[in-house]
Amino acid sequence: MGKPLVHRSPMPGLGLSMGVTLTMLSLVVLLPIGALLLRGASYGIEGIWDTVNRERVWAALLLSFRLSLLAALFNLVFGVLLAWVLVRYRFPGRRILDAAVDLPFALPTAVAGIALTALYAPNGVLGSLAAGVGWKIAYSQWGIFLALVFVGLPFVTRTVQPVVEEIEREVEEASATLGASRLHTLRHVIAPMLAPAALTGFALSLARAVGEYGSVIFIAGNIPLKTEIAPLLIVIQLEEFNYDAAAAIGIAMLLISFAMLLAINLIQVWSRRRIGHV
Amino acid sequence: MTPFGHPPYLFGLVPLLPRFLVARKARPVSTETSMQTTILLNGNATAQGLKVAELTDGRVTIETGRERVTGWPVPATIRGALSALALAVLALGAAPAPVQAETLLNVSYDPTRELYREVNAAFAEWWVAQGNAAPTIETSHGGSGSQARAVVDGLEAQVVTLALASDIDRIAAAGKLPADWQAALPHNSSPYTSTIVFLVREGNPKGLADWGDLVADGVEVITPNPKTSGGARWNYLAAWAWAEKNGQDPQAFVGKLYKNVPVLDSGARGSTTTFAQRGIGDVLLAWENEAYLALKELGEDQFDIVVPSVSVLAEPPVALVEGNIKTDAQRALATAYLGFLYTPEGQALAFKHFYRAWDASAAAPEDVARFPDVDLVDIASFGGWSKVQPEHFGDGGIFDQIYVAK
Repeated sequence: MGKPLVHRSPMPGLGLSMGVTLTMLSLVVLLPIGALLLRGASYGIEGIWDTVNRERVWAALLLSFRLSLLAALFNLVFGVLLAWVLVRYRFPGRRILDAAVDLPFALPTAVAGIALTALYAPNGVLGSLAAGVGWKIAYSQWGIFLALVFVGLPFVTRTVQPVVEEIEREVEEASATLGASRLHTLRHVIAPMLAPAALTGFALSLARAVGEYGSVIFIAGNIPLKTEIAPLLIVIQLEEFNYDAAAAIGIAMLLISFAMLLAINLIQVWSRRRIGHV
Repeated sequence: MTPFGHPPYLFGLVPLLPRFLVARKARPVSTETSMQTTILLNGNATAQGLKVAELTDGRVTIETGRERVTGWPVPATIRGALSALALAVLALGAAPAPVQAETLLNVSYDPTRELYREVNAAFAEWWVAQGNAAPTIETSHGGSGSQARAVVDGLEAQVVTLALASDIDRIAAAGKLPADWQAALPHNSSPYTSTIVFLVREGNPKGLADWGDLVADGVEVITPNPKTSGGARWNYLAAWAWAEKNGQDPQAFVGKLYKNVPVLDSGARGSTTTFAQRGIGDVLLAWENEAYLALKELGEDQFDIVVPSVSVLAEPPVALVEGNIKTDAQRALATAYLGFLYTPEGQALAFKHFYRAWDASAAAPEDVARFPDVDLVDIASFGGWSKVQPEHFGDGGIFDQIYVAK
């Protein structure tokens, strides 16, 4: 707190680079979001509330955010695991697997959705196995979860991978020679180092899942109150030329997303403070 | 409109049309700049003639005097070597008068893919036979509602051939064609009609014969979402009409019907895929033409068609989009294109692709004999789309209440 208010940076060119950065950010991110909020403002708080405060909209919002959160949590665990395995172990086919992690980024989401549906439908390869034990995957919330896991996984793996590469084995060895168990080393040495990157990946995966439309639409079933996602409601409103209502649901999603990402950021700040800067 | 005066889709509210949906337009080359162009065809063959169009992928179309061919332009350096040969070829055939290739974009809905593929080819042939330059006709397909929205938002379609008059009404409301467009062509501007039938699994294991059977427990019905699919609105209305004619409360009946729907796809094709390829459901409520197409594509031993006692007369209308017509030549082409749909040849193609058409004079008898007589209810008996659309499918309308009630 004792810092001067005007802080002269030792780096040259700050003014220029700052200006360019802010301009680009405004054009690409802030303006569209600003336009959405402006549209909402012209519609009025009451209008937004009337649009959002309906059983079907709440159900869709709840479904979207609940499943996105679950999918992001799943990706957090398995994405970190995958990053660890890819960096630390040498096995045949590792490079192929490493390249395959990026596939969800490269594949058009609609293609991914159709492929997942074909696999997990009751007459699909995996779906028929699941149907054998009475488990319905496609056209249920499981299907949505699956699609969201698919599109979000690379975010976690790719954010954590470089950090895993940075961790030196000596740290673990030192921990072991000091008598720590493997679990203790993992909890107190490795996890704190990975936490910030993993959280960033988690946030990205969550944000992506919330807005995901293309891959989910084919596998969801889209039954109102059961398997209808919030982005589909926006599309339905657009089909009816209700741009205001569409903007209202969009703003609701934006606010919830913002609150979630803020919470994740706070957790990150707290975890950094707890373990010092890594 | 947004405060910035941009169309709303700029702000990520509506996904911009993917590039592949936007038809590849051939850029007409003005006659002044038409010159001898050499192109490379498949393999090593080359052809030379007057350049009539440039495609967006870099290929060009030339008129050689005998035919029109499309290929990759040969760079000037190579052209020099070829020009001697070309001159010899040219000496044999006189250079044709330079012509302008007209382009036409037909924005249509999902189930017409196969129909318009053939119509476009047949029409292009007929158009050339009339002594015109070969036209470039592109057709884009998608859900009827979203296709209409794309045209409202600026997709430059000269012709629209959609599932519902109300979709074209929206384009008219945006000022792109006159409000009384439906009177411009015969039969309410519907060159072909269709109806809603049931597609069931082979042998009809659940014994579904009429609408009343679809609300039984344990019957799974596949139909798209009426909010996003034109065809689905007809499905809904057909069920409604049956309930009215059979003394049932239509809203309760339709509500029960949709409770039996496990998957609500956004378009007719999606529902057909869900039913036929994914094996979901006992019965698909389908356009008659989609049902026959499914039989044809997927095998007659897989499905049966059941025609209910009551159904709807679906009139998928066609219209010329005045606001997107650039030149008189283009207007002539678009008008002829729509007119072609009403000619015996065009009508025969509609019959062939399982649509019910008006003029069977040139159609194959088996294509016409396919359609049984059904008690058909048209949209006018529901009070017209302007009444039905808001009442049933608008925000908070009867369809919305089905899911929220109870």
